[in-house]
Amino acid sequence: MIPFLAVIKKELGSVLRDRTIIISILIQLFIASFSSALLLGMLSLYDADTIMRFSGSGIKIGMVGPSENMLHQFLVQRGLQVTPFGTLEDAEIALFDNQVSAIFVVPEKESSTTDIRLYLPNSDAVSALIRMVVQEPLKQYENYLRAQQGIDVRYTDLKGKPATSFEFVYSVLLPMLMFFPAFVAGSMVIDSITEEVENNTFQTLLSAPLTVNGAVNAKIVAAMALAFAQCVAWLSLLQMNGVEIQNTTLIMILSICVAGTASTLAALGASMLKDRERSQFVYSLVLLTSVSLGTILKVSPIETLSRLAIGDQYTGLWHVVAFAIVLSILWFLLNRVSRRLLV
Amino acid sequence: MHQILTIAWREITRLRKRFGGGASPTAVVLLLAVLGLSAYTLRDTVSLGSGLYRVGVSGDVPVIQDSRFAVVEVDRAEGVALLDRSAIDVFIEDSRVMFREDDKSQFAVRALKQYLELKELERIGNTYTFEQAFPLRVGINYLGSPTGQALIAPDTQLGELEPDETIVPSLTAPPAPFTQVIVALLYILPITFISIFFTSSFMDEKINRRLTILLSAPITPLQIILGKMLPYAVFALTTTALIAYLTKGNIPLALAIFAPTIMFIFAIYLMVPLFYRTFKDTTFIAMLVTTLTTAYLVFPAMFTNTSELAYISPLTLAVKMYREEPFGWREYLFPSLPMAAIFGFAMFAGTRMLNEEFLMGYRSISRKISDAIYLMLAHSRPYFSVPLWSLLVIPAVYMTQVVFLAFASNLPLGLILGATLLASAFVEEVVKSIGITVLVEHKVVTSWRSILGLSFLSALGFLVGEKLLLLVSISFVSQTQVSGALFGAGIFLLVPLVAHFVFTSIVSLLRTQARFPYWLALGIGTAAHFFYNVYVMRGM
Repeated sequence: MIPFLAVIKKELGSVLRDRTIIISILIQLFIASFSSALLLGMLSLYDADTIMRFSGSGIKIGMVGPSENMLHQFLVQRGLQVTPFGTLEDAEIALFDNQVSAIFVVPEKESSTTDIRLYLPNSDAVSALIRMVVQEPLKQYENYLRAQQGIDVRYTDLKGKPATSFEFVYSVLLPMLMFFPAFVAGSMVIDSITEEVENNTFQTLLSAPLTVNGAVNAKIVAAMALAFAQCVAWLSLLQMNGVEIQNTTLIMILSICVAGTASTLAALGASMLKDRERSQFVYSLVLLTSVSLGTILKVSPIETLSRLAIGDQYTGLWHVVAFAIVLSILWFLLNRVSRRLLV
Repeated sequence: MHQILTIAWREITRLRKRFGGGASPTAVVLLLAVLGLSAYTLRDTVSLGSGLYRVGVSGDVPVIQDSRFAVVEVDRAEGVALLDRSAIDVFIEDSRVMFREDDKSQFAVRALKQYLELKELERIGNTYTFEQAFPLRVGINYLGSPTGQALIAPDTQLGELEPDETIVPSLTAPPAPFTQVIVALLYILPITFISIFFTSSFMDEKINRRLTILLSAPITPLQIILGKMLPYAVFALTTTALIAYLTKGNIPLALAIFAPTIMFIFAIYLMVPLFYRTFKDTTFIAMLVTTLTTAYLVFPAMFTNTSELAYISPLTLAVKMYREEPFGWREYLFPSLPMAAIFGFAMFAGTRMLNEEFLMGYRSISRKISDAIYLMLAHSRPYFSVPLWSLLVIPAVYMTQVVFLAFASNLPLGLILGATLLASAFVEEVVKSIGITVLVEHKVVTSWRSILGLSFLSALGFLVGEKLLLLVSISFVSQTQVSGALFGAGIFLLVPLVAHFVFTSIVSLLRTQARFPYWLALGIGTAAHFFYNVYVMRGM
């Protein structure tokens, strides 16, 4: 037991001494902050609700056409300021005077196909924003025109709340923070094993009262411990930032299982291929394959994690146990194969 | 040229030997399987939020095939009960949708709304004629911008203009270039994989000491690097052409767009084997590099058509290519030139560092970096090499600052500008002073006077580079206040020159003469620079 612990200590010590773990944490921090920056940017440019909240008051629409037409009403419902004009000439003057930012022209009479006109400023950024916010009223107007002709469209009155942030936090941010350490753990195990092989230090390691399995397992446990520490940190940081997370214990167990699976898989690859170049390559490929396969077969750990975190009633201990079983099968295989490292 | 080809051939032989064994066929099969599977999964699950919502349905409801929803068929009573217990988020009975008032149910309703809207369009599109199903046409005209110069004089008759484009509201594609960015990202993935092999090749030769033998042969380090790079570059270009072919892009255009990107990624990965000490180093450095470059490439591209700064990334050009929107040679050069410049710089740095002593020594990373800088600067007289260094690293500084900006945008609104300014000041001070500090440490420069002289030249080199870049970006993009904020552009050239000179002198002198630790000297210089920038910004 003591040599086993010594190997773990050595592995953790080298990671801390090389400061490589800091790079890993920096990467995760970067990905997290970067992706939320991206989301924020995307929302403020491409999401009508967010645009309305931040710059809705700045968008004024000029309207030429029958007074109080339906499009007018839908635009007002969206929260936009609509100014009616008698003629297009008046509206045009207002547009170049900066009093309105866009002009709609609606014909006096609706017919089977209604042609309306929209005049926008020739600036990509502004016209893109306006087109985003008038999209919904235009669709409502289209549905109204359909109803006029007796075509009934269902589910038009649904509202709800914008879900992008919710979906991002639980299906991207949380899984990424919980599983990235697992991915790193696997890479670490490969580096550590292949380095011993290249430097011929495995034999030396075994002169201590330790089997090959013991040495490899110690490396895996060290990598898992590191992943565990990171997961705890991320989980508590997220909770401190007000992200509600259910089933934290199960989430931790799941993350450890995934970290263990990745490390065992990596050790398996390293024992068979023995050099870093091929092992890392095959490891990344296998990981990519399992993620895509898992998504297709609906056994993705990412989905399980998201569901646990939002407190889904049909997801619980048994889903986590399934991943633990995968881990133990791989671990059993590894202990059969790791002998090859000595050849 | 002949030597380069020889090295390239040698490299191919090495690869063939390495992957010729048992792993090769498996690896190829795996690679193909992964590509096929990812393409397949990407096709219908691009949306985020996989598996987040549970929906109960009963009666005549469109089939819900979206990875976000897990659907159960239940009768009315059970559906209502499940909804009440929060076991499902939404219950749909025929055309009636039932939900709760809590957030999760409301999120599900919004997601469902987007999905059902599309399904309904499909249905009415199939049941009615096109004119009946889509009764609204919107003709759009883009007029001279209210703030810029008017393209159309205000006295033209708007009503007589032909629409620039005509849309059917429910059939317009979302303007977010999400899908195109993901397609453009498909190009980057294989390039990264290939460059990891390029890195491994150097490491391999370093471990078995073949590199030492190569270096003693009558070939230059540049020939070694280019020769080793050649097969991988050819492979990367072939993959690019292949992806363009498969995604129905324009092949020559895709090659032109991604060639500088390939050079850039290779340049960065060349640094990994030169600096690493243990295997773990390589893994982590490679990971860091991959994330940063991916971020640098993807982030701007998401804002194609909404901000001119999107042209920082070549992916924007690819997005434009897929949207079949034209772009000019200026838009092409804007992302490509800095990348090519970094490639050139990395080639120079690589040839200077490719010697046995530098490669084989085990030193701390900071020690290695300072040695590397010394090797580059010692190439010629300090009075020439120091300003040249400050000038040539500008593209790298510029890229770092863009990455910092992405970082800072997470902060509260009031802090973004301050944090960016501070980070920019820090990077600039590092770049300007590091060469001088290293030269003093190697005793190439000793006297006060020469340190001051070098500080001046370094500041001058940096300023010239900075202004050149500013000039270039003014002619490229209209949002110059952003570049202005990044680089703290002053009005008179003399004032910033003096300022840069003073800050560089502070750092260099504190470090070399007063024997301050480098981080402390740097901190003081950065603080001075930061307050100067804030002062300048206030005045503007």
